[in-house]
Amino acid sequence: MAEDTSVLSRRDVLKTSGAAGAAGLAGLAGCTGGGGGDSEYSSLGNYPVEGDEVVFGFNVPQSGSYSQEGADELRGYNLAVDHLNNGGGWVDDWSDLSGDGVLGKTVASVDGDTATDPDQARQSAQRMINRDDAIMISGGSSTSVAIAVQELCQEERVQFQCCITHGNGTTASECVRYSTREMFNAYMTGAALAPVLEEEYGSDLNFYQLYADYSWGQSQQRSMNQFLTEGPGWTQVESVGTPLGTSDYSSYLSDVPRDEADVLILNHYGLDAANSLPQAIEAGLDQDMEIVVPLYNRLMAEAASDSIGDIFGTADWSWQLENGPTQTFVEAYREEHDRAPSYAARIAYTQTLQYAAAAERAETFYPPEVIRQLEGHEFDNAGLDAETMRECDHQAQRDVLVMRGLPPEEQTEDRLLEVLNQTSRDDAGYACDAGPAADCQLGDYGDE
Amino acid sequence: MTGDPADDAAGAVPDGGTVAGETAGGSGGSALAGLRERDDFVVIGMAAALVAFPFLLIDVLGGVGDAVGLSVGGYSGLPSLVLIYGIVVIGFNLLLGYTGLLSFGHAAFFGSAAYAAGLFSQVVPSPILMVVVGTLVATLLAWPIGFVSIRRSGVYFAVLTLTFGQALYFWALGPGSWLTDGDDGFSGIEADGLFLGALPLDAEPIPMLDSYTVMYAFTAVVMLVGVWAANRIVNSPYGLILEALGENEERVEFVGLNVFRYKLMAFMISAVFAGVGGAMFVIHEQYIHPTTGLYWIQSGDFVIMTVLGGTGSLVGPVLGALVFEYVANVVSGVSLPVVGSIGSLWRFVLGAVFVFIVWVFPRGIYGAFADLARYATGGGGGSGGEEPAAADGGERE
Repeated sequence: MAEDTSVLSRRDVLKTSGAAGAAGLAGLAGCTGGGGGDSEYSSLGNYPVEGDEVVFGFNVPQSGSYSQEGADELRGYNLAVDHLNNGGGWVDDWSDLSGDGVLGKTVASVDGDTATDPDQARQSAQRMINRDDAIMISGGSSTSVAIAVQELCQEERVQFQCCITHGNGTTASECVRYSTREMFNAYMTGAALAPVLEEEYGSDLNFYQLYADYSWGQSQQRSMNQFLTEGPGWTQVESVGTPLGTSDYSSYLSDVPRDEADVLILNHYGLDAANSLPQAIEAGLDQDMEIVVPLYNRLMAEAASDSIGDIFGTADWSWQLENGPTQTFVEAYREEHDRAPSYAARIAYTQTLQYAAAAERAETFYPPEVIRQLEGHEFDNAGLDAETMRECDHQAQRDVLVMRGLPPEEQTEDRLLEVLNQTSRDDAGYACDAGPAADCQLGDYGDE
Repeated sequence: MTGDPADDAAGAVPDGGTVAGETAGGSGGSALAGLRERDDFVVIGMAAALVAFPFLLIDVLGGVGDAVGLSVGGYSGLPSLVLIYGIVVIGFNLLLGYTGLLSFGHAAFFGSAAYAAGLFSQVVPSPILMVVVGTLVATLLAWPIGFVSIRRSGVYFAVLTLTFGQALYFWALGPGSWLTDGDDGFSGIEADGLFLGALPLDAEPIPMLDSYTVMYAFTAVVMLVGVWAANRIVNSPYGLILEALGENEERVEFVGLNVFRYKLMAFMISAVFAGVGGAMFVIHEQYIHPTTGLYWIQSGDFVIMTVLGGTGSLVGPVLGALVFEYVANVVSGVSLPVVGSIGSLWRFVLGAVFVFIVWVFPRGIYGAFADLARYATGGGGGSGGEEPAAADGGERE
């Protein structure tokens, strides 16, 4: 029963504050909460962290269509926990981190399965927060999951570190104070791709789009249209939605006007792209026009490896980059797993370390202070040169990689794509009052 | 398809209270045949079970988990979730277990009620009114869907309901996203608190027991009302006709009853329960996504919960919901010493549990408990003696 008392003291100030009907209880919780640990701050969410362990929750897709990606995320997370506790990897290079846990506490972790289902992900996160007292949650491999979980984390006052989420919504209209995203988004993909496409294919072209008809696909096709029309002055013939999870695209592909369209943009991700891209090649569309896949991932590159030759897209990061942090990470990862990490593993790794470093800088796990340390943080030690975690919308301003698929004969197990261009963040980014950021209202810190 | 569950259904009516009694008072499920048929006994037994439930799920199991070093305890929020799905499957069972109609589209009612309640909350953030509005929308939606689907039976009925459900899912995900926020999920839900915001839903009125939130109490009360209503229905002449429909539709028709009308009513009643559950779900989660609310897998989950718990009994499906949600949300996070993390294997675990239950106890978890209780009390009876009892129960009303 002792555990119950502590649970009450940790969690209840928030829950009962503003509760007219339970004012007495709030008082009680406030009293007990002030008693324990480094009580510089009042208790909030799962703060203060009691005992000599601090728990991180890793909420990744272990079943469903992104399970492969989830497995690589988990490898990145576990590597991060290992390095935080025992040193190694970036922990040795980051001045904020000691390699001896975080703020003197050993890092422990719990994991769960999101099944790429927003509600399943929320249940899993809820369990980590309520039962396992996780101080930080990270994970996810789709925007709907990220939005669902970060909403919950804002309510529960627990930090959420986005892993893979590329839709604009996460740091636009659905953004929250308790979440940060280092990955780039659909808008930045458009900005990064358009100049490269103009240089490769010329100006005054007509393009035709297919997009997966849900929020990511919609925002992706919108930004492609915007940047290709504004930049190189291309003209959109038409943009057609395809239901999410379509397996046969032949009817959509046969509608593509071969004589009119010069470029076909397939705004599909993961399994959708693994289906639509080979089918487009099979239909011979690559003979008549250029094909572009705005966002690559490893799953799709592997599934469509015969078809990706010379096809452009963007990626979060690549193990082929030559900068120091990248090579350190790839080496540490290879030592454990004997192959190169996908970008999912890097985001997982860096997001965990970013949180730990922010807590060290704040000298407390008190969530609002950690968030203030994350906000506006500038760094160049995460494998992508200079990055800023922007304060206004919690979207990292960072470079975007433009990738080109390799023809099958040049591919190796790990090397299916080559880095064509690292579009600078000045070109890929946007101002706080522009693009998706204009819709963002972050919400409160919880200590106002 | 219809024969088996219907037989069981007939047998299980008077047992409605047993499970509640058992859960609350341990193994004291003596054959209180007379008591079990009474409404208030069912409700009181259920109430006792609901009072003990969060403590057992979170504190006792959590203690067990700490003792054996496995994280098997529940978490605050899980008890309410189990009850919410419990409400849905009690209603679903009226259709599947009693009337013998297998609907594969009940997510449509669950989800539309959830969205309706969520949207309504932006106008009036009152949980009670949200439930009313959500239920109303689900009921209104059930009429046309039922009107069309009920004209066919068996697998055609199942596929028709499935089709309507999927149509709503794709609408909510794509074209309807101006209303539903599509794949981003609908999250702008404002549920103030009960009674004009006086009681915040996440308050914990009992010191030391933080699993007993106001939300849980609210859900438990709604659950009790649901159990009471369902019990009234199955013990009324109306319920008897529904059961008869499940057993032999033609006979009912020959007696001169309007089969279509009764089936439609059964369909709509079950949609009311799904609607209540959907609205409660959105109040509890403050979030709804087309995959959770409207996708066919959700409809399938209702079927699994119902069959797992026991189609033939009033509250059996609630046990199914408990096992389902426990495996999905707790077992999925367990790490075993040798096997490692269960993680993605939770569906496999659930499948194994399902196959085991259906194979060994065709009448579901509830049926297994009922048999166990009968053996324990030496109350013979056997399955043959049940049917007349059910008939009696009905006629006495």
